[in-house]
Amino acid sequence: MRDTIIQGLSQAYSNFVHMIAEFLPHLLVMLIIIAFGLVVALLFKYLLRTILRLTKLDKVSEEAGATKVLRLAHLPSMSELLSRSLFWVTWFGFILVGLSVLGVATLQEQISRFMRFLPEVFIAILILFLGVAIANFLSRAALLAAVNAGYASARIVSWSIRFVIWILAVTMTLEELGVARQTVIAAFSILFGATMLGLAIAFGLGGQDLARRFLEKNLGPVRQDEKKNEPQPM
Amino acid sequence: MAEDTLLSDDLLRQLISVGEVDLLVGIPSQYSFSPVADVVRAVEQSLSRQFVRQRVVIALLDGGEKNAEQLAAAAGNGDERRNHTHGITSLRTIHRIAVNFAAAPTPGAALHTTLAICDLVRAKAAAVFSPTTSNLSAESVANLLTAVYRDNFDFAAPLYTRHKFQGLLMRNLLYPMSRALFGSGMREVFPSEWGFSGRLGSHCFNQEIWQEEVIRTQPEAWMAVNASCDDYRCCQVYLGEKLPPKNVAAIDIVDILRQTVGALFWCLESQQTSWLDSEKVHSAPTIGPAHQLTSEPTEMDRHRIFEMFRSGVTNLEPVLSTILDPETHSEIKAIVSLEEGKFRFQSDLWVRTLYDFAASYHHAVINRDHLVQALAPLYRGMTHSYLVEHADSSPAEIEAADEMLCSEFELQKPYLREKWKSKVEVKS
Repeated sequence: MRDTIIQGLSQAYSNFVHMIAEFLPHLLVMLIIIAFGLVVALLFKYLLRTILRLTKLDKVSEEAGATKVLRLAHLPSMSELLSRSLFWVTWFGFILVGLSVLGVATLQEQISRFMRFLPEVFIAILILFLGVAIANFLSRAALLAAVNAGYASARIVSWSIRFVIWILAVTMTLEELGVARQTVIAAFSILFGATMLGLAIAFGLGGQDLARRFLEKNLGPVRQDEKKNEPQPM
Repeated sequence: MAEDTLLSDDLLRQLISVGEVDLLVGIPSQYSFSPVADVVRAVEQSLSRQFVRQRVVIALLDGGEKNAEQLAAAAGNGDERRNHTHGITSLRTIHRIAVNFAAAPTPGAALHTTLAICDLVRAKAAAVFSPTTSNLSAESVANLLTAVYRDNFDFAAPLYTRHKFQGLLMRNLLYPMSRALFGSGMREVFPSEWGFSGRLGSHCFNQEIWQEEVIRTQPEAWMAVNASCDDYRCCQVYLGEKLPPKNVAAIDIVDILRQTVGALFWCLESQQTSWLDSEKVHSAPTIGPAHQLTSEPTEMDRHRIFEMFRSGVTNLEPVLSTILDPETHSEIKAIVSLEEGKFRFQSDLWVRTLYDFAASYHHAVINRDHLVQALAPLYRGMTHSYLVEHADSSPAEIEAADEMLCSEFELQKPYLREKWKSKVEVKS
């Protein structure tokens, strides 16, 4: 009995030691990979940051209005954001590779799923960034045109354009990520259709006079009194 | 030497038959047929009376479906008109060549072609006249050409008699700013007619800027600034009264700002070595009477101008906050809240606003076209203030006020330099 217990304990101890002996090198390899990944990720981060500063991405981003959105969201500048993102993605990739060395079957499956998903995440981020930049550019163009034409609701026009493009960009992003694809498309179709129908009805019924005035002003003959509104600038 | 591809075979054939000339007159007619005939008539009268012995050529530049004969016909028959002129007439043939583009040429394309012709026919002096000028006289043509051909100036800008409320963009922005920064003494840096020497023409022709959007739409300002900054001899020639252009629809401030202020800001950028660390002043002597102002009563909707300023500044707050210095922006917001009767756009604030715009254009803080458009409400504010302030002012008082504005632009030049050289802050 006693011998059996001792033998059992000895076996368990031996198994534990064997397991530890087998696990420790894997753990060490994982830590080395993670540490190496950290160095590589830092290197990538500084390299990308230098390249982006040289290419004056921040200036382009500022011009496109994307920097303003980043500021509103309390995010750093575009070049900083991209270089930090690269750092985290690279390091996270190394961490996952390191974890896979441990040989845990469930973990490996999750890692490979994540790796397959990564390109889609990048495309989704790109779509969202372009959407924000285009929305800012077009809404500002509309705001300036409406203000300089003397329209009373210039900001509403501008915000409507921004809103529609944002909705479109978010919908495309979610579709790219495959998040509730059917629901997102249906919701977008309903929202977009309803907005357009609402605008059509509003303009058709409520804006007849406005439309007439607009057409007369832009396509009709120039009235002499219009010329006298402002002094000749040149 | 003129580029091979710029001039068509047909044009080259015409130029070969013309040979070398003393004077070239370019008339870009991208509008309609009728005004061209008036301008050509004035030019021919001038050439046949004042430049009797000189070899001359008139280049008509147009686009569309017209061929050379149709263009010449639209411009009238020169021989018939010469029969009606009295006194001394030209001893030489006044050549007329037609340059036809596929579509109406942009002002830049028309000027580029004119310079190519000038270079090829080795003209000593040249002038460009716009068909939109409704009162071009033979004397005006002669005065411009004489300044270049006989007085050896390289660039002759026009000078006009204007109504005191006409050309406010010129008097409140373009002239004082170009004078303060480029040291150019020319009042009309965006002329619709001007003269230039063959030397300056060749210099400008060989520049690599003809594909730039600004040059395509408004090349004359660049030519004026270039002449001034590159130490060519410039002068101003009095041409009489400036009437509003013919056949032009209602005023579109935004379009005018794009063409003029956009071009001026572009010149600041492209010529920054000439003004950033330099205090050069280029004199431009006046030939003939000086600039004059008239003050007949005129109708203006001042209230509408003020309302457009107020709503513009309010609605464009997010855009203006990106362009303007916070202090300048807060001062503008403060004057927006004033009653119309108490509202004044002080000259120091106006100058600082423009310098903020120029620096932001340089740093491209937003799309440059958007930036220039955002200036429209502020220009309206300045216009309103000017109309109120000078409603009863005499021309002499207005001249004095304009001179003070020029001094303000000079005074605040270091502010622009500082803003120009500072790096754009992108907050992290």
